[in-house]
Amino acid sequence: MELSERIQISSGFLLQAPPGEINDVLNDVRCIINNDEELQAGVQPALREYNLEQFITVESPGNNHQCIISEAARLPASDDESEERFIDPRAKTSFIFDHLALEASDPQPHELDAESEPLRSALDNATQTYLTAHFHDGVASIFSKGNGVREFIIQVVANKYNPSNYWSGRWRSEYTISFDEGKVTGKILVHVHYYEQGNVQLTTAHDVSFNLPPGITFSDSSAASKILALVEDEESKYQISLNETYQEMSEKTFKSLRRALPLTRSKIDWDKILGYKLGAELSGSKEGHVASS
Amino acid sequence: MAELVDSMLDLMRRLPPTRTEENVNALITICPDYADDLLGSVDQPLQLKTDRATGRDYLACDYNRDGESYRSPWSNDYDPPLEDGTVPTPKLRKLEIMANEAFDTYREMYYEGGVSSVYLWDLEDGGFAGVVLFKKTMSPSSNQEPSGSWDSIHVFESVERGRQAHYKLTSTIMLQLTTRQASQEGGENEKKSSAMGAGSNNGKYKDISFNRQGEVTLSGSMTRQQEQDWPIHDPSSHITNTGRMIEEMEIKMRNSLQEVYFGKTRDIVYDLRSVDDLEKARRQRELQKELVGFIKR
Repeated sequence: MELSERIQISSGFLLQAPPGEINDVLNDVRCIINNDEELQAGVQPALREYNLEQFITVESPGNNHQCIISEAARLPASDDESEERFIDPRAKTSFIFDHLALEASDPQPHELDAESEPLRSALDNATQTYLTAHFHDGVASIFSKGNGVREFIIQVVANKYNPSNYWSGRWRSEYTISFDEGKVTGKILVHVHYYEQGNVQLTTAHDVSFNLPPGITFSDSSAASKILALVEDEESKYQISLNETYQEMSEKTFKSLRRALPLTRSKIDWDKILGYKLGAELSGSKEGHVASS
Repeated sequence: MAELVDSMLDLMRRLPPTRTEENVNALITICPDYADDLLGSVDQPLQLKTDRATGRDYLACDYNRDGESYRSPWSNDYDPPLEDGTVPTPKLRKLEIMANEAFDTYREMYYEGGVSSVYLWDLEDGGFAGVVLFKKTMSPSSNQEPSGSWDSIHVFESVERGRQAHYKLTSTIMLQLTTRQASQEGGENEKKSSAMGAGSNNGKYKDISFNRQGEVTLSGSMTRQQEQDWPIHDPSSHITNTGRMIEEMEIKMRNSLQEVYFGKTRDIVYDLRSVDDLEKARRQRELQKELVGFIKR
């Protein structure tokens, strides 16, 4: 099999890496492929795809905060020659991102769309407040479409990596707020990996959409806090409903797959189970499997 | 290349359990020379087969496979038929038949459904080994109903020492649970359906209508080992002995699964996000500190 083909298949493994374990998966793949040079170049597209999809965070260069790498943060390339850049709207900065080292470099000032900036920055502030209230380690970036399109994207990610206790987790959420369509579409994705003496994963996907009520408008100065109140409510509701799902899965699905004890509420009497028929048949004959004398 | 196999196994411990079969096949495509190592050490969901002679269902895995054929524990026949397929010696087959009946009763008592199979084989240095399999699947009758599957694989080795037998048991349980939900809430009609906390905000958003849908999947596997000595009175003792060990192991593992699936993973979600307002709690703590300081003065 061609090396390029083998690298191509391995790229599929990288895309499935649990939160915080991309380097572990990459190390396994390195050992399997056994050609670092070819691999490093070959897995670049997969690493990039993984980082964008998983809302990987990076320290915004020259700023004291983290920002999100995602499709929304990607700047359309100005020409074919230049390297791909990502923006941190909060710091009005663009930078180059190294998808392997997970580092940002070459920061440059970045002008944001003037018309939507007041609401974008209000959403940014409201989201930061929301993060402090509900996330232990949350990062958010808020993007505006601009150019006359009144659309904003809120992205939130929270990660906890605890390899010494064999677990990791990631919460991602994204809301697209379109004032032109009067609509909000959102999704929440949770991925948890617990791998002490096993491999157990929780994956959840939640899609929500709702109309923007007449009380929330583009020029309304309280629009940002009203939108974040809706986001907060939705996410808390979702977390509570997740709890209910847990309960149902534990009490219904899990129990009906296998009982904790038989109906008799006691463990099995194995001598009885063997039955007189079989028991008599075997102990009666001397040619059993065991000659225990 | 033990290192390579270790990397493959480490990879399988990290990748989503829902995609084990697909990923094992991908690894075999990349490293065909290691197919046997992989198939022998990565547990995959058991396949359900039907015995042509008896019409009974049985479970297929690497242990009852010979080439492309699988042996049924009920008729002892291979499917597709094999002229010279490996079968246990008559003595061991006798024990295998008895073990299948006993563990089938066990299956009915604990699983109330599903399928079981037991396969035994002789070991080169005396003694014998076996695998006890259980599988139960819950298929939903509608899209909104929960689905799930449970696969137990208990591999044991038995070596006799006088009137005692030493057993080494390795047990793996694969468990998958999925729940799908969809609901509408709010708006003019206030139309609601059952799921997703609808109704908890009754009337709060009269001018907003929500559409929600989602899916929650818990999946994974867990492996445990145990070694024990048990007395042997007659050949059937092997069944009562392994029966007790497997029953004890499944009870323990079911508890661990419950703890990890519904306890640990849930706690981690709460480590990511808190339903309660953390900022409020922080301020309350500070206020409390101030008050304590004030009283002390």
